[in-house]
Amino acid sequence: MLAPLQGALREVKADEAELWVHRRRSAITRYAKNEIHQNAVADETCVQARVVIGKAVGIASANSLEPADLRRLVADALAAARASAPNADWPGFAEPAPMSEPKAYDAETARADARSQADAVKRITATAKERGFRAAGTHQIELTEDALANTNGAAAYAPSTMAYLRALVASDTGTGWAEDLGWSARSLDPSDVAARAIEKAALDRDRTQLAPGDYEAVFEELAVAEVLRFMALTGLTGQTLKDGRSFMKDKFGQPVTGPRFSLWDDALDARTLAIPFDPEGTPKQRIALVEGGVAKGVVHDRQSARWFDTRSTGHADDPRRSSVGGHAGNLTMAGGDAKREQLIGATQRGVLITRFHYTNTPDPKRATMTGTTRDGTFLIEGGRITRALANVRYTMSALDLFSGLELLGPQRLARDWWSSNGMGRVVCLCPPIKVARATITGSSPL
Amino acid sequence: MPKRDAQLTDLVDLGARRGAAYADARRVEREYEAISVRDGEVESVTRSGDRGIGFRVLHRGAWGFAATDRTDDMSLRSVVDEAFARAEAAASTRAAPVALAPVAPQRGEYRTTLVRDPFTVPPAERITLLRAADANLKGPHAVSRRGSVAAYRTRKHLVTSEGTDVRQEIVESGAGLSVTAVMAGAKPAQRYDSRLVRQAGWEFIEQLDLVRRAARYRDDAEAMLDAPLAAERPTTLVFAPEFLALLVHESCGHPTEADRVLEHEVAFAGTTFMWPQDRGRLRYGSEHVSMTADATVPGGMGTFGWDDDGVPAMRTKLIDRGTFVGYLTSRETAAALDVPVAIGSARAEGWQHFPIVRMVNVSLDPGTQRYDALLRGVDDGLLLEAPASYSLDDKRQNFHFSTQSARVIRNGALEGYARGVSFQSLTPAFWGRCDGVADDWELHGFLSCAKGEPLQLMRVGHGAAHARFRDVPIEVRG
Repeated sequence: MLAPLQGALREVKADEAELWVHRRRSAITRYAKNEIHQNAVADETCVQARVVIGKAVGIASANSLEPADLRRLVADALAAARASAPNADWPGFAEPAPMSEPKAYDAETARADARSQADAVKRITATAKERGFRAAGTHQIELTEDALANTNGAAAYAPSTMAYLRALVASDTGTGWAEDLGWSARSLDPSDVAARAIEKAALDRDRTQLAPGDYEAVFEELAVAEVLRFMALTGLTGQTLKDGRSFMKDKFGQPVTGPRFSLWDDALDARTLAIPFDPEGTPKQRIALVEGGVAKGVVHDRQSARWFDTRSTGHADDPRRSSVGGHAGNLTMAGGDAKREQLIGATQRGVLITRFHYTNTPDPKRATMTGTTRDGTFLIEGGRITRALANVRYTMSALDLFSGLELLGPQRLARDWWSSNGMGRVVCLCPPIKVARATITGSSPL
Repeated sequence: MPKRDAQLTDLVDLGARRGAAYADARRVEREYEAISVRDGEVESVTRSGDRGIGFRVLHRGAWGFAATDRTDDMSLRSVVDEAFARAEAAASTRAAPVALAPVAPQRGEYRTTLVRDPFTVPPAERITLLRAADANLKGPHAVSRRGSVAAYRTRKHLVTSEGTDVRQEIVESGAGLSVTAVMAGAKPAQRYDSRLVRQAGWEFIEQLDLVRRAARYRDDAEAMLDAPLAAERPTTLVFAPEFLALLVHESCGHPTEADRVLEHEVAFAGTTFMWPQDRGRLRYGSEHVSMTADATVPGGMGTFGWDDDGVPAMRTKLIDRGTFVGYLTSRETAAALDVPVAIGSARAEGWQHFPIVRMVNVSLDPGTQRYDALLRGVDDGLLLEAPASYSLDDKRQNFHFSTQSARVIRNGALEGYARGVSFQSLTPAFWGRCDGVADDWELHGFLSCAKGEPLQLMRVGHGAAHARFRDVPIEVRG
């Protein structure tokens, strides 16, 4: 894939030029009420050219790698650069640098076909039907290829795969959720996903409403990933720091959460979904964000590194979806060895949260998140689950939540609601946790 | 009569010959051009485009869909094979075949009516406008300013095995402004608008008066920095049309999508609290609240000639004087719910996407009183102009909104600002508190309503007027 890019760059008449390609083959099987209702595959290419004249930048994108189309694309970017004005803070393109080998790729997963996806779904729906339940969800396989070349001589290519299986099991009284995520289809276990979702759906009956207030809580991995996403977006990038919106501003070296909380960004961890370089061609680095509750660092792309007179940490975001300033997309939160029953057992009176829906942040400076729970919200009393709860609205600062960390379980690959549905780009390795206090501000009807 | 597209026709013919009960092929080409100015400097000049073909078959009672951006013969043959393979795999799980509500074959062309093609406006003219607006975004505490203008063009050609052959060319123009003000000891204040978009030419950008609007945003952001906290108690809220556009979108548009009723979206977007047995009975709001889905509104971001099922643009009532009466449907969901096709809402973001039920232009119908009369009816309350954070549950029944800026209403007049305001409510309880809608109806547009897997970002339109809500409990956070 690099050859056509490098060929096109040889002909560019500009001070600097860069071509970045993202190709995706996405095969997605969606099911509801135990039937597949959408079954789609799409091959798509995005190629973006950035061309610089002086310090004026022009950007153009298209979806063809044919030489004539690439020439046209570069010409469009050149025209855009001529129409643009110099950026005094222009950091220049990346220089060649050593790269790690891509780890998140599995050739067998890349070859998965429609029948294998349907077979996985049928294992879930068959089990659900036996129990008189309805199953819905998604089986998704993605093969992506990223490549970058620029006129400084930087060149990088990495394939990656993603396999995702999720199940929402519904009875007439409630719902339960489970999912598996990995870079290999072998990491998906349809029977286990079905069993976990069915167990929760079966428990979700005779719901009661929880009064607003502060409660002890057990957050499962998906719920933790939701909170981490808001920390990343509101406070862990050079852009938020520059704007004064980050909770990290003027806090480096000081506690921002309790001492049990540590968080870093590490795209090089072999367990996560990532490639070893960012869309600017900078190798990704492991960056400590919070260590033992103390603020340590934020991530940078080349532009935000320039603002702070430092080096890019390899955290440029997908340019199709965001502007410059850095993006922490591979979060790892320190875990522990507490088992699920220990987290529940340590809770005298509290709430178990499986996951959230459509969260947002009414107070970004405090990384405050609000959102309703779904598909498995339970009351814990005396160390055991006693009642199903109507979905609750949770509203609380992530910093306050993680100040009350008491127990942590083992890490698992998980994505927040936004990222698992294509609206965000954060992947977490995070544990289930037990916290001393979570603020519930309302309840949905029974 | 649209010019024949041999590739699309051949694909559909091949689908029919291989036994599909229905087949359609859709060619889509998209262009986008944007200029962004940040803190007075040109941040980026961007041009993008993509093109490809999506092919959909209904075979053995199930859908299969495949799409490609490579349009050579070998790639297109592969697309046909893959669509059939996916339909066959899906069919192995179906208890009953997918049915489509009948629609007569359509032929014709649709084009956006515009005065000045936004792609022809010289970049220098666009940059001059953005720099003038940026100058007005500057304030003593404004640390971050951004302005942008954008132009969008979509050319779409749909051919179906039922004889539909329609072409559309849709042009949209948009702008965005944002300012962040920061002051020691105060929470940062942001004022922004990313929804200034219309199916129209450059004349829409001129109507926006970005320069004057920028000054208003600056003033709002500066004022919010040291505004007093609002009092936490139930109060009268008046919402500006911009704010209500989002409330209509989230609390009426989404829960009336018929695919949510069928649980097609349960694992992602969720379901609804508005079920078929509730039609004509469920009290959604007060008698002042009527809402309409209309794909024919001039300039609407949800306006078109035909949806991606080939259904011509229509108009239908969703809420009638407070009562839930209708759904947004596709041919598949209309058949499944056994209702006539009262509105065509099957839409795909691009060539690579499967059409699903989406909003068109879903609007709060205007009232009859003037805005100043509505305001005079408020002794003590707040005017909420633009939403900030928003969060909703999976049934669209429980929501939480915060606001970028809140103006104090005292004795029917605006005076000063209040900060920290947010509110949560159940949807029918909220709309039930509406005791007046003004006649100053205006149209807003969203570029990126998110739904579907893989994610599809859809353009939708929403009209609203100022409206008044009594005794709304608010939350206040410092």
